Amino acid sequence: MAIEDYRGDVEMCCRCSACKHIPLQKVKGIEHSYACPSIARYNFHAYSGSGRLLIAKEMLTNGFQYTDKLLDIVYNCQMCGACDTSCKYAMDMEVLLPINEFRIKCVKDGHTHPALDRVITSLRKQGTMVPGAKRKRAAWAAGLGLKDATKEKVEVYYHVGCLASYDKNYQKLAKATAKILKKAGVNFGIGYENESCCGGRAFQMGYKEDFLKQAKKNMAMLKKAGVKTLVTSCADGYQAFKVLYDKYNLKGDLEVLHISEYLARLIKEGKLKLNKKVNMTVTYHDPCYLGRLGEPWIHWEGKRIQGYKFVFDPPKEYRRGTNGVYEPPREVIKSIPGVKLSEMDRIKEYAWCCGAGGGVNESNPDFATWTAMERIEEAESTGAQAIATTCPWCEKNFNEAIKEYGSSLKVYDIVELVEKAI
Amino acid sequence: MAINKDVYKEFEDVVGADNISDDPVIKAAYRAPYITVVLPENTEEVAAVVKLCNKHKIPFKAQSTGWMLYAPEYDFVFLDLRRLNRIIEINEKNMYAVVEPYVISAELQGELFKRGMICNVKGSGSTCTAIAMSGHGHMGLSTSTGDRNDLATEWVTDEGEIVRVGTLAASDEWFCGDGPGPSLRGILRGGGVITKQATKVYHWPGPSEYPLEGLSPRYTLSKKPSEMNMMVRYFSFPSIEKLIEAELKIGESEIAFELMGFCPSMVSSNITTSNEEDFATLDKFTKEVQGPGFMVIIAGNFDEDFEYKKKVLAQIIKETNGKSLKAVEDPDVEATLLFQCTRVSASIRETFRAGGMFSSMMVQGQRYDNHVKWLEEAAVWKRELIEKGLVIADDGQQFGWGEEQGHLGHSEIFCRYNPYDEKSSEAVQKWMERVGKRALDGCFAVPSMGVLPVDMVGKRVSNYHIWFGKLKKAFDPNGVGEQTGFSYVGADSSGAHTSIYQKKPEKASPKK
Repeated sequence: MAIEDYRGDVEMCCRCSACKHIPLQKVKGIEHSYACPSIARYNFHAYSGSGRLLIAKEMLTNGFQYTDKLLDIVYNCQMCGACDTSCKYAMDMEVLLPINEFRIKCVKDGHTHPALDRVITSLRKQGTMVPGAKRKRAAWAAGLGLKDATKEKVEVYYHVGCLASYDKNYQKLAKATAKILKKAGVNFGIGYENESCCGGRAFQMGYKEDFLKQAKKNMAMLKKAGVKTLVTSCADGYQAFKVLYDKYNLKGDLEVLHISEYLARLIKEGKLKLNKKVNMTVTYHDPCYLGRLGEPWIHWEGKRIQGYKFVFDPPKEYRRGTNGVYEPPREVIKSIPGVKLSEMDRIKEYAWCCGAGGGVNESNPDFATWTAMERIEEAESTGAQAIATTCPWCEKNFNEAIKEYGSSLKVYDIVELVEKAI
Repeated sequence: MAINKDVYKEFEDVVGADNISDDPVIKAAYRAPYITVVLPENTEEVAAVVKLCNKHKIPFKAQSTGWMLYAPEYDFVFLDLRRLNRIIEINEKNMYAVVEPYVISAELQGELFKRGMICNVKGSGSTCTAIAMSGHGHMGLSTSTGDRNDLATEWVTDEGEIVRVGTLAASDEWFCGDGPGPSLRGILRGGGVITKQATKVYHWPGPSEYPLEGLSPRYTLSKKPSEMNMMVRYFSFPSIEKLIEAELKIGESEIAFELMGFCPSMVSSNITTSNEEDFATLDKFTKEVQGPGFMVIIAGNFDEDFEYKKKVLAQIIKETNGKSLKAVEDPDVEATLLFQCTRVSASIRETFRAGGMFSSMMVQGQRYDNHVKWLEEAAVWKRELIEKGLVIADDGQQFGWGEEQGHLGHSEIFCRYNPYDEKSSEAVQKWMERVGKRALDGCFAVPSMGVLPVDMVGKRVSNYHIWFGKLKKAFDPNGVGEQTGFSYVGADSSGAHTSIYQKKPEKASPKK
């Protein structure tokens, strides 16, 4: 669907401003009441979910006129979907999908962001969202003796993801994941140099064609290797394989699991035992693309029933953030001896974004770290010593914010916590 | 046309380059093609911006949270008050809270709950400003109306003078809007910009935080309402007279925390999470109710108090032949209505979800005689629109509630429709005018602002508009302040200056 197909949705915006805040039932006071980083940072209504829809409405009516300010608004959005969830508490309309399609149109019309172009150039040349990657994708696995899933049959294909493959600061996550899976006796393998970027972040940035190319390439490789179950430790990767590939009818019957889901399963089945005590109070950050945007895609085709109501034939079932992955990471954390989980004000479907999504990490690093620091402060207010997450991009952005603004809070991926406990 | 570069620079010097814009895309988001938007951070910046507007004779308009903004189609400076978003003080002892205009009701209410208190929340919902000023809310029975809650106020006049109204002028205290010190509460709605205001707060017998569980949009409570000494019921009555009798008795006995004259359609909107579910639920309810009804919330301070209130309620309902809607007795449904309607995020589901827009005729005053009779007539005319398929087919009823235990009342009826369907929009506009004229001709009420031209209404109400116009002129000699239905400046009697409250279907303008 293109932006034009969402005219009815953008016209439904009644400017109630629910999209700016977390669902109102969850507002506990003046602190942590906002859901949308962009409106919280830039203040003009144009930067809110509603403002973006109203701009789309104007342009659908009077034609698309690209200005620097328009592109500033378009690219200063993490595509985190918080506006979508808050709106859909009360309304039946799409919010994030038209915002996403607006961005796709910008890219299609050639109005891209130079920083994002650089990332996409890297994707096209090297199959990764980490520009300037010089080493081989699976260099991190040297000497670990991991199976090559493209050459031998395995039960589980571990999709490592770009950041954990290429960034030397985050290869520890890939190593920890491999160590845990081995410890649990899982018959798994990786794709080595056949692994390529999932394309999810490219899609968030508006480069739909690049995403589709990656998706087709990955699915061809997985099909050829006979992979039935894919596990990834990256939230963006999870959402791409699980939701976006399905949206574009590319997923087939591939089972897609986030590492947190898989670890929770292994722990429940007694295949992974966490014995060592990790004395720490931890708060958990729900990555947007594992949480509210990790909700399975709902296939629907229908037509609006003409008239005074905004209803469809057949009835449309909306994705409202209800069915994201929320409990498995918490179950894993709670399974670690000595770890105490202390929740933040904004969690699960209304969690505040880490700031890295939608290409903001690359296009406006200041905004990305500003957003992360809001989260760090919220985490600190729980009394936790560490913030745990389940996405390397979140971890990286939190670390960058702490480096810039300062905080004694430690940042971990849950695989690092689990690694400590085995 | 935008303001010229030199003048723009003067505004920019006040608020900073990051907080001013006349970019077309910024304006599109405010649905106002001719504005320059400024984001002042504090009272002094507001005053400086207003002074510049006077200096250059540029109209201005200020907005807090901006529910349903429709901007005038002329050049003006638009003060978006988003950066004035601080709670200045919560005074538990004297039971008031001082807020800036962009504090939303949900935020203030969240803070107050922790202290065993609550504020009035406007019917438009808790995404709207916590500033008291105007608006009647679902909890009016115990927290009164917006304009009965405003206390001392910091106000920037239309000329840019900072005026401290009420006790604030004499003693730096916020506890009274009328003095010692100047009381200007009667004219505050005529213009200027409120930058801080104290609002009354009330005792809250409920929990400091609702034990919500589940995920959006299907939140529920981990406890039954009765375990928190709270109860929600919906009663329908054989006639409007019986309903009013019950309303009055509940007010007199002071047993209810909230009495909201929901039609069954408003109940179904609140407890459902999609349009389809909503309409199916309404069908069920329509078959069960015996006539007009209301929802009532009882909140006990302690067990015996809760039991007493429940018993009195049962007696009143028996005496007035009320019938309880069984679905609401289900603890899950009851819980949903409880947090929906006390945290008042109710309005969006009720009003916008079905068609995208609603137009409302409302009035505050003596709910129990003229107003209800008038809106019963409006309901008959509304049903004609429903039969023609022009507005959402709900139960077509008027609704309302008692304010201050029934000493005052609010009555209302609205049509929900698709604003982009020209036939629907025109039909609703005509219905509004018809109902408005009937209010005047039948001496039933003064219709809501914007429905009819100000001079048509004013001459039936002691020519208030002329007096108000004189006041307005004294405070706004350059005519740059807000021109609303409350004020009347100059000879314009077309009602055009009130058109900001009227939704018109938008048509595509020729491609540039």
